[in-house]
Amino acid sequence: MIKITDLEKFYRTEEVETIALNKLTIDVKKGEFVAIMGPSGCGKSTLLNILGMLDDPDGGSYVFNGVEVAHFNERKRADLRKHNIGFVFQSFNLIDELTVFENVELPLIYTGVPSSERVKRVEEVLDKMQIMHRRNHYPQQLSGGQQQRVAIARAVVNKPKLILADEPTGNLDSSNGNDVMELLTDLNEHGTTIIMVTHSEHDARYSHRIIRLLDGQTVMENIMI
Amino acid sequence: MIKNYLKTAFRGLWKNKGFTAINVLGLALGLATCLLIVFYVFDELSYDRYNVKADRIFRVNNDIKFGGNQNSYAVTPAPAAVALKADFPEIEQVVRFRRRGGNQVKKGNQNIQENLMIYADPSLFSVFTFPMIKGDPATALKDPHTVVITESTAKKYFNNIDVVGKVMTFNDTAFYKVTGVIKDIPKQSHFNFDFFMSMSTIGESTQEAWFNNNYTTYILLRPDADYKKLQAKFPEFMHKHAGPQLQSVLHLTFDKFEQSGNYFKLSLFPVTKIHLESNSVAELDANGNIQTVYIFSVIAVLILLIACVNFMNLSTARSSNRAKEVGVRKVLGSARKNLIAQFLIESVIVTLVGAIIAVFVAWALLPVFNDLSGKELIITPQIIFRLLPVLSIFVIVIGCLAGSYPALYLSSFQPIEVLKGKLAAGFKGGLLRNVLVVGQFIISIGLIIGTLVIYNQLKFIQKKDLGYNREHVLIVWDTWTLGNKAKTFKQEVKQLAGVQNVTMSGFLPTSGYSNSTSLFKSPVLDQKQGVLSEVWNVDADYVSTLGIKIIAGRNFSDKMGTDSTALLVNESAAKLLAFKDPLNKNMYIPQDNMAKVMKPFHIVGVMKDFNFKSLRENVTPLIFFYSEDKGALSIRTKSADLKVFVDQVKNKWGELSPNQRFNYSFMDKDFDKLYNSEQRTGKVAVSFTSLAIIIACLGLFGLAAYAAEQRTKEIGIRKVLGANVATIVRMLSKDFIVLVLIAIVIAVPIAWWAMHKWLIGFAYHQDVQWWIIVAAGLGAILIAFIAISFQSIKAALSNPVNSLKSE
Repeated sequence: MIKITDLEKFYRTEEVETIALNKLTIDVKKGEFVAIMGPSGCGKSTLLNILGMLDDPDGGSYVFNGVEVAHFNERKRADLRKHNIGFVFQSFNLIDELTVFENVELPLIYTGVPSSERVKRVEEVLDKMQIMHRRNHYPQQLSGGQQQRVAIARAVVNKPKLILADEPTGNLDSSNGNDVMELLTDLNEHGTTIIMVTHSEHDARYSHRIIRLLDGQTVMENIMI
Repeated sequence: MIKNYLKTAFRGLWKNKGFTAINVLGLALGLATCLLIVFYVFDELSYDRYNVKADRIFRVNNDIKFGGNQNSYAVTPAPAAVALKADFPEIEQVVRFRRRGGNQVKKGNQNIQENLMIYADPSLFSVFTFPMIKGDPATALKDPHTVVITESTAKKYFNNIDVVGKVMTFNDTAFYKVTGVIKDIPKQSHFNFDFFMSMSTIGESTQEAWFNNNYTTYILLRPDADYKKLQAKFPEFMHKHAGPQLQSVLHLTFDKFEQSGNYFKLSLFPVTKIHLESNSVAELDANGNIQTVYIFSVIAVLILLIACVNFMNLSTARSSNRAKEVGVRKVLGSARKNLIAQFLIESVIVTLVGAIIAVFVAWALLPVFNDLSGKELIITPQIIFRLLPVLSIFVIVIGCLAGSYPALYLSSFQPIEVLKGKLAAGFKGGLLRNVLVVGQFIISIGLIIGTLVIYNQLKFIQKKDLGYNREHVLIVWDTWTLGNKAKTFKQEVKQLAGVQNVTMSGFLPTSGYSNSTSLFKSPVLDQKQGVLSEVWNVDADYVSTLGIKIIAGRNFSDKMGTDSTALLVNESAAKLLAFKDPLNKNMYIPQDNMAKVMKPFHIVGVMKDFNFKSLRENVTPLIFFYSEDKGALSIRTKSADLKVFVDQVKNKWGELSPNQRFNYSFMDKDFDKLYNSEQRTGKVAVSFTSLAIIIACLGLFGLAAYAAEQRTKEIGIRKVLGANVATIVRMLSKDFIVLVLIAIVIAVPIAWWAMHKWLIGFAYHQDVQWWIIVAAGLGAILIAFIAISFQSIKAALSNPVNSLKSE
């Protein structure tokens, strides 16, 4: 499903050029659950941003579902993104002015799903995430765990083929964290490909495979059983 | 999608109530001001448009240069109208007005002074649109001693409008039959009358006198005619008609007359432009001023700009709060154009709310504005309804204008960066925002300087030594109604305690009465020896009552038998006459239209120039005749209690003339009225300037709040490290004060230049004073500092523990 080859990314300031990704090559198959680990500044988030088509690489190839996307323009990337990829962030990133229901509904609006269909699908996913009773609350009124459920609901409502999760449990206590990991696992078991960046060995154990990065390069791959 | 935008917009606005309030309030104030000014400007521009044929009506103007004097007159010779119509087929109709002052009109036993009276030709109703409610417009005003009155006048005198055939009594001596009742003349007219008397009443109206200019003449062009082409034929017309008379009076052909640099030419002035653009001698009414319209329009646009800038600044300053939303929306697949649309919709909503409030604010402020501007504007639901399309477009344009920069700026955020919190420093480095703040303050400081200059000039005018003393002078008007008893009245008033001096003459420096005549230095008419001068009839007490200085010769005296032909000239007249020593020199005045008899007068004294017209103009030649004029009685008093004094004079009046109304005024107040238009402009400018400053400060207040919020952590750390409140206030205020200083540097030269140009319009003026610049600059800094310090002090006083915890 994802095949990146010799991927490069540099960050430049006036004096220094930092290499974030150094000829990185990774292969992720459909239905896989991959954890990416490594120390701060190893390029994890950069990789995730490129995989999520939020950022473009400076070199190398990125084939998504058999299509070379490395040099797509912003509009094409946005289009591909909204139909295929869901995001889960460490800090949830819900819109404060919108209710739980409306936050989850947002991706459907951008993909042009008709209103009645939207209600059905949002209710379905809220139900699945067990936050139906909170549908009319605003993000500030929810606990961190609940907010992350909403964020996951929003990520999956469009039935994306790939979910990119950036430290999804980073802001949660262990109990809420475990719940979130269970949810992701469940999604994965139903066929969604998941790539997750994490610092937590505990969380990484939920995945099939751990890719460890250091200075923008793969240093080790663990296959979990 | 739109629904989602609206939802986010409303909730976001509600959540940031303070920000929204500042934005909406600023916009509402700006829009309300704009709305008021738009009403004002439309009102000014709509003058005389009530005439169905407005585009075809022209007034005949008369530009005369003769005897060292040149002027544009709004009046023509009496025969011009008839001759014009006879000579030019492109003229469909002509109508003349002849003004002869007011009359006392009888109602029961009471006489009421009416001034809005005019003689008019019967063709009046085929030129101007005055719908006649009663009577026949085709025949009304045909016969002598007939009058057409307005609806409200009919009600005033007869309590109903069915009054055709009734007789009205003027001055107890003249009787006029009412032949028509018309609707009241709209306020937006360059003249306003309640009584139109038939022109045939006055015999003079048919005289072939081409050198007496007393008739306001209007022509109605045929629809296909071009007034410029017609106007080009006027010189020939004047040669043909006025030429023979010129020949017999001055023994001179029209060509010769013109070759010597003199002229006498007719021109056409579109009726719809009279109110704003005409400032000729003998206008029927005080006109408006296109300059005021321009000034107000510019102020309106500037205030609106300030309000829009507020919106832009506050929106972008708040960008860090919106950044996350932008990031999330982008990640979820929103294209940039969607975000731009979203932010524009948001700003249109704010503008819309602002506009709705503005309509109410404008409505509430209207009485105040009317009072300031001297207008009688009204806002009715119908007007609002009619304005709705314009207002909607306005809202969308202003909304998009104000929202454009925030929309482009916010939508350009990179999602990863904002979601990673890299854009937290949304405040600093806002170059454009700084430029906008500077722009706002340039406008505010410019307005402050402008206002101060206007006020200073008005004060200068009031304090200027005019060459006569206008203080403590009571004027009793219409003393001519006393007839023979006028002299008795003067004598009796003179006996009253506290009276220093009394003079009888309607010609006063503050009355606006004007009368000019040609005088000649030799009994044989020679145009080179002619002088066109203002001439006033005064008595021997005039000079002493008004405190006019005689610099050579003597005043008139009733003891000198020869003084009936004596003249007093002012310095300007003396200079124009160019006698080596003007004293005892003779001047001659033609006694009839043909100048067959020339009456000699001799100069007995020269007066120091005094300002007998508005200070916008230089002093022109003025000559006094020792002759009776019963127009008014001016009384110089040293009485401390003026109210008691007025009552005493009124009693004397009542004894002599119980039926006539006692009309009085004070000369200093009359003088102030000469500058009404400047006073008004000044007052309106002050109000608008205050508004502009309030709006700009609202914006600054909001910006300061955000700046303080952005730097909460910095302030916390500084306090922990030992900074005191003063240091922090200074730190937060400094950035803004620098902007205000830059604005001062830019605004001062621009404002100085603009106001200098305005002042040049006054023959007597005081140039822009240095203290005005200093006061405006310091004022702006002070006001800005107050707006900022409120926020800075609040931030500086907050507990650092709280601010640091929030990180």
